[in-house]
Amino acid sequence: MSDMGLPASVGAIRRVREDPHRLGYRAHGSGEDVEGTGHGTTGPAHKRIIVGYGFWIFLLSDIVMFSCFFAAFAVQRGATAGGPSIGEIVDIRRVGFETAALLLSSYTCMLSFAATNKRNLLWTQIFLFVTGLLGLIFVLLELQEFIELAGKGITPQRSGMLTSFFGLVGLHGLHVTLGGVWLATMMAQVQIKGFRREIVHRLICFNLFWHALDIVWIGIFTIVYLMGSGA
Amino acid sequence: MSDLESDPHGVVLDRREDHAPGDEPLEDSGHWIYNANLGLGFSILLTAAAFFLAGSHIIYGPSIPVALMVLAVAQMGVHLVFFLHITTGPDNTNNVLALAFGVLVVFLIGAGSIWIMDHLNQNMMPMEQMIQMER
Amino acid sequence: MFGKLDWSAVPFSQPIPLITSIIVILVVLGVLGLVTAKGWWPYLWREWITTVDHKRIGIMYCLLGVVMLIRGFADAIMMRTQQAAAIGGPGYLPPEHYNQIFSAHGTIMIFFGAMPLVIGFMNFLVPLQLGVRDVAFPTFNSVSFWLTASGALLVNVSLFIGEFARTGWLPYPPLSEATYSPGVGVDYYLWAVQISGVGTLVTGINFVTTVLKMRCPGMSYMRMPMFTWTAFASSLIIVAVFPILTATLAMLTLDRYVGWHYFTNTAGGNPMMFMNLIWAWGHPEVYILVLPSFGIFSEIFSTFSGKPLFGYRSMVAATLFICIVSMMVWLHHFFTMGAGPAVNTFFGVASSVIAVGTGVKIYNWVFTMYGGRVRFEVPMLWSMGFIFTFIIGGLTGVLLAVPPADFLVHNSMFLVAHFHNVIVGGVVFALFAGLEFWFPKAFGFRLHAGLGKAAFWFAFIGFWVTFAPLYILGLMGMTRRLQHVIVPAWGFWLYVSVAGVAILIVGVILQVAQLVVSIRDREKLRDVTGDLWDGRSLEWATPSPPPFFNFAVLPNVEGEEPYWGIKLRAVETQQLSPEPKYEPIEMPVNSPVGFYTAFFATVFGFAMIWYIWWLAIVALVAAYAGFAWFAWRDVHEFEVPVEEVARVDRARRAAREVFLTQLSRQEVLP
Repeated sequence: MSDMGLPASVGAIRRVREDPHRLGYRAHGSGEDVEGTGHGTTGPAHKRIIVGYGFWIFLLSDIVMFSCFFAAFAVQRGATAGGPSIGEIVDIRRVGFETAALLLSSYTCMLSFAATNKRNLLWTQIFLFVTGLLGLIFVLLELQEFIELAGKGITPQRSGMLTSFFGLVGLHGLHVTLGGVWLATMMAQVQIKGFRREIVHRLICFNLFWHALDIVWIGIFTIVYLMGSGA
Repeated sequence: MSDLESDPHGVVLDRREDHAPGDEPLEDSGHWIYNANLGLGFSILLTAAAFFLAGSHIIYGPSIPVALMVLAVAQMGVHLVFFLHITTGPDNTNNVLALAFGVLVVFLIGAGSIWIMDHLNQNMMPMEQMIQMER
Repeated sequence: MFGKLDWSAVPFSQPIPLITSIIVILVVLGVLGLVTAKGWWPYLWREWITTVDHKRIGIMYCLLGVVMLIRGFADAIMMRTQQAAAIGGPGYLPPEHYNQIFSAHGTIMIFFGAMPLVIGFMNFLVPLQLGVRDVAFPTFNSVSFWLTASGALLVNVSLFIGEFARTGWLPYPPLSEATYSPGVGVDYYLWAVQISGVGTLVTGINFVTTVLKMRCPGMSYMRMPMFTWTAFASSLIIVAVFPILTATLAMLTLDRYVGWHYFTNTAGGNPMMFMNLIWAWGHPEVYILVLPSFGIFSEIFSTFSGKPLFGYRSMVAATLFICIVSMMVWLHHFFTMGAGPAVNTFFGVASSVIAVGTGVKIYNWVFTMYGGRVRFEVPMLWSMGFIFTFIIGGLTGVLLAVPPADFLVHNSMFLVAHFHNVIVGGVVFALFAGLEFWFPKAFGFRLHAGLGKAAFWFAFIGFWVTFAPLYILGLMGMTRRLQHVIVPAWGFWLYVSVAGVAILIVGVILQVAQLVVSIRDREKLRDVTGDLWDGRSLEWATPSPPPFFNFAVLPNVEGEEPYWGIKLRAVETQQLSPEPKYEPIEMPVNSPVGFYTAFFATVFGFAMIWYIWWLAIVALVAAYAGFAWFAWRDVHEFEVPVEEVARVDRARRAAREVFLTQLSRQEVLP
């Protein structure tokens, strides 16, 4: 079946015509050994698909959790209780550097996965390392921001707005930190066990996680920092 | 297929296999890196535009938050398409549906909470005032 | 060194918790001692504690749920009797104790009674109905169960070390904040629910992935049995809303532990936001419970009417409709909080509209019975009881969905009667029906029918005698959670309600007796064919109990009601389908990681509750170390040799040959 090079939709039409019930290569009871396509009618899908999809669902649930913290921030953004407002605590320059670091780390993560697909251990590790480094820069910049604010007495205990600010940004930073720990573990596992099946599955999951963190950061720098700076 | 052996050529899946987002085992790395570059390029443009717009007066003031949201959504889309490879092909249907479900839930919680809390805050006396009255 | 923990935490001065704690500790020690004396630990460790088999995990979930239902029922007995005793007097439970009881009652019944039972059913049935060997992530499944058990353990520990929350089953601020609840009660609640919530979220992910990506050949979406559809919809809701619970409880935890201001009533906190977020979780939660319950009834109605389920497509549509709309109605839990007419109207209309989905289902069940040959076995009795009870409960719900009406009866006994009406009538009846229905499949022998019927009647009548008076009391103005009763006119109905509780107690005793008698007489009640009830879906194609790999060869499905088609063809041709070509089967290995993780989660939770920081850190590090060790393992699967697969399956085929001759002699099938 050569539908290479055709647009996906044409391929889909052809598949429907040739196999309207999507039973795949396996006709009734012929018992041929075919992996499931995951469309459901040729048996269970391959483990790589199952793992990746399950992790995608987990990420969506994580994003729902973030949306609660976003909602809390939206509700409490004006609840300054006589303390500083969001515009007064935002440092756009530092946020710019944080954004650059995280975005570049997403890019290097992509490159490391390209190397993984090619089974190239050296470049996988190099790009994973750079990803981790950029992530570390991000976390350190954020820590610096929090410490500076705390030094001025601007802490989450001060007001509802500050609570939801530190909560949302802190939750994201915590995810990045845990991602970094996971990254270090993955680098060790890849080094020692090579590109075994389940190690590759975990790298797929890590990739998904890291990109999702950048997507959440887009939300944070827009809603908290950029919109906040105008307030 | 023993787990203990390295898998030098990757798993050969049926071409019609579903893919998890961000996983394209058969895609050639040139194409992969091309996607990554495009994604990075667009993201940088959108981010720079957002940062630039935030502090400037180029467009009508009250519309700036709307413009920032549009840029943010666009950049999230760039990430989804170029980094996570979400497409409209039949090998991605489940991923798109799951994403749509997630977006729906996020919208319901976010918009719902803001709508509800806004009305509650308008109608109900702030707690501090209530405590003052009881003293 | 021990944080806030000292000897004053043990309730030496409170007789009821003290005596209960002593009895519970003695029973637990007795059971552990018996297991040790009989040398059962290796078996238990190998076959149950470290299992990743979905059937065993399902059974353990159900066992946990049943035990906790009994504990919750004990709390309920105390509440009803206290209110009856406290008309114009103090009763026998002081307020600070009574408040813990109603909080524990709700928390235990929902989180550790109903949820584990529903998830237990999902675990046992979904892979069997899909014709596959296990769920998508079997080891995570074990982790989920043990984390749930960890939460249940923490709640029960609060009985004899410390206290429980006094805030109700959803800890509204400002009462639940550190200022007004400085003790450990709310912290017990927070950590127990948070830990088990993680387990439930993983279960949701597991089942969404299983249903979407793991089905046997030929099983398209529209050929899945109804229980699987509802389990899928319920899992979608779990994935969508449990993060809200996690987030909200985390926010309250931060408020209490480090003085943040999410929900405080000073410094910019907003207590109303807690109600908003927690009910955004809380309403979908009840649909998580009720959708699989509807699925259980769908299976039972079609099986015992001898007909396919009426309107399968509309059932699927109604299920998905309920799934989506359930996330759009949550404000009806706080109409009176003051959001105003526009907001209240939207959510009131949505709450009324969601009843349409359930209405479709009820019509379909009734039409399934029409024209069928109905057999009134015990599961069918529970189903008939459900139809009657749930319709009334649903009607009172639609009444409550109208904001002006709700303003009169919000937080009154009318509300209490309504939600018990739908949860007991909907979820609990379904669980008992399901237990009667699938017990033979899980254990290989059926339950004693006579005792089952008696238990049903006592439960059904007892339920109505207990809860109907509460509707009347609500309309008379009685609010909920009253420790004592100052209006004498309410006394009569409270006494009637206690009489109902007595009837329920008999029902519970009969149910336990049924189990004991059935185990004692299990050889007489043996199910040799695997298809005791003339079933229609794939789990009835397996022997009772199914082998650990479920199916020797994954079935090839060619239509709706896959097993029914196989059975009819076998009867017509008077022979089983030809023996398949057996192959070795790869199954996941058992793993202690679930138990290990949950053990340290319990230690972590306990340490956080009592402010024992060093212990909390130790537990976290140990949990991570255990997880990392697990992630480093080299062997995940073992191979079942062909001879073993063939041996087990040939035994099944032999039993089926006998069954086939019986069937054709009796001409049971149309």
